[in-house]
Amino acid sequence: MPKKILRGLLLPCLLLAGWQLAVTRQIFSPYLLPAPSTVWQSLGELCASGVLLKHLTVSLRRVALGFTISCCLAVPLGILCGQSKRFENYCWLLLEFLRHVPPLAAVPLIILWAGIGEASKLTIIVLASFFPLFLNTYSGIHGCDKRLLEVGQSLSFTAKEQILQIRIPAALTSIVVGMQLALGYSWRALIGAELIAATAGIGYLILDAEEMSRPDVVIVGMLAIGLIGTLIDYLFLLAIQRLFPWHEGLQK
Amino acid sequence: MNGWELRVQDICKSYGFKQALAPTTESFAEHSFTCIVGRSGCGKTTLLRLLCGLEKSDAGTILLPEGKRIAPVFQEPRLMPWLNVADNITLAARHDPSLDTGRLPELLRLLELTGTERLYPNQLSGGMAQRVSLGRTLFYDPDIILMDEPFSALDYFTRQGLQQTLLRLYAEARKTIIFVTHDVEEALLLGDRILIMNSGRVQKSLPVQLPRPRRAAAADFQGLRQEILQALS
Repeated sequence: MPKKILRGLLLPCLLLAGWQLAVTRQIFSPYLLPAPSTVWQSLGELCASGVLLKHLTVSLRRVALGFTISCCLAVPLGILCGQSKRFENYCWLLLEFLRHVPPLAAVPLIILWAGIGEASKLTIIVLASFFPLFLNTYSGIHGCDKRLLEVGQSLSFTAKEQILQIRIPAALTSIVVGMQLALGYSWRALIGAELIAATAGIGYLILDAEEMSRPDVVIVGMLAIGLIGTLIDYLFLLAIQRLFPWHEGLQK
Repeated sequence: MNGWELRVQDICKSYGFKQALAPTTESFAEHSFTCIVGRSGCGKTTLLRLLCGLEKSDAGTILLPEGKRIAPVFQEPRLMPWLNVADNITLAARHDPSLDTGRLPELLRLLELTGTERLYPNQLSGGMAQRVSLGRTLFYDPDIILMDEPFSALDYFTRQGLQQTLLRLYAEARKTIIFVTHDVEEALLLGDRILIMNSGRVQKSLPVQLPRPRRAAAADFQGLRQEILQALS
């Protein structure tokens, strides 16, 4: 494990060294690319003043809410489509169409309908995170191992018991992997949503910094996004390993 | 023969133009141990799947006395990966809560699985997993157990151990067993009657009246073996 961490750190360190070198040799103007030390200093200031935390909290709250709404919609719909051919027949064309429309393409319409408040941001997050979760749930339920279903059939399980006792538990890992993907998509979509119209949040911090000609703060915002995204993903992986000790494919 | 019997009358099955099972009439008496032998594709698994209701017969009837249960043990263990050994064995209780989960320790002892209750399927050896699978069927407490080459993927020693466990269960639990295998020796070691299948038909029904425990080296055992092999060739 330490070896893996060391190897993983190699490229970021090289990148950092290259960055420092480019600044020292004045290949880029500090106005365009501030020195790592300047970024570090800005990070310290933003942390100390509580500004970074404030924006992060706003963004995280939006992601949590949007992601929860997405889970409440995508998981039941995925289960319904996965186990009912008739329901799938009604839904597939609309869902297939919507899947290919990037959420950002719908932004003007979303702003028109939902305004520039929280609702529009949540809609964008839900649109972005819905499909990975829906598709994973659908494929987990639909692709349930027929041999396991035969076991239920041989023990006289009813259709409801087949779904509750076999299809859903068998699809859980697929659903959780979908959640992990959806969370990543939510996080990325959020920044897009906040860049459009917001008064708080990490996206807003970045946009504001750009207008104030503060590339150091832009980079602090980017670093915060990357770090938080990685942390969320890691925590999710830990939770999966704890919840599904039986699943080899999800081991670290 | 006293007691009830499972009767099949003119059941048959085709997949497209391929006839997997020709019209078949056969009966299986209570507390009998029937082995079905035959080459791959001879229709033995089809017959078993029809008997346990996993496939629908194209014609004919299956007559099972009311209240009698029938359940299979599959070729692969087919354990639920998310359930531990104890929960896999007691799976049927999720359908029928009247099944007594208090029988679990006794089943674990019978199948030599005591101490493995909390293990998950991916932590079990092939032999252990197959024993859990057998335990799951026994917990369901069927009157007839259908076994589809359940030991075919196991090594020689594990297989021998499980054959002994099965004979012990047969003697203690008084079940009716229908056991499909392509291994003639295994059929002779286990069964009281052997059905020889060829090209989707039951070609011959052969009673085995050898006393238990049976020895493969014994002359009468070898005689029967030759007879079956001749019928199959």
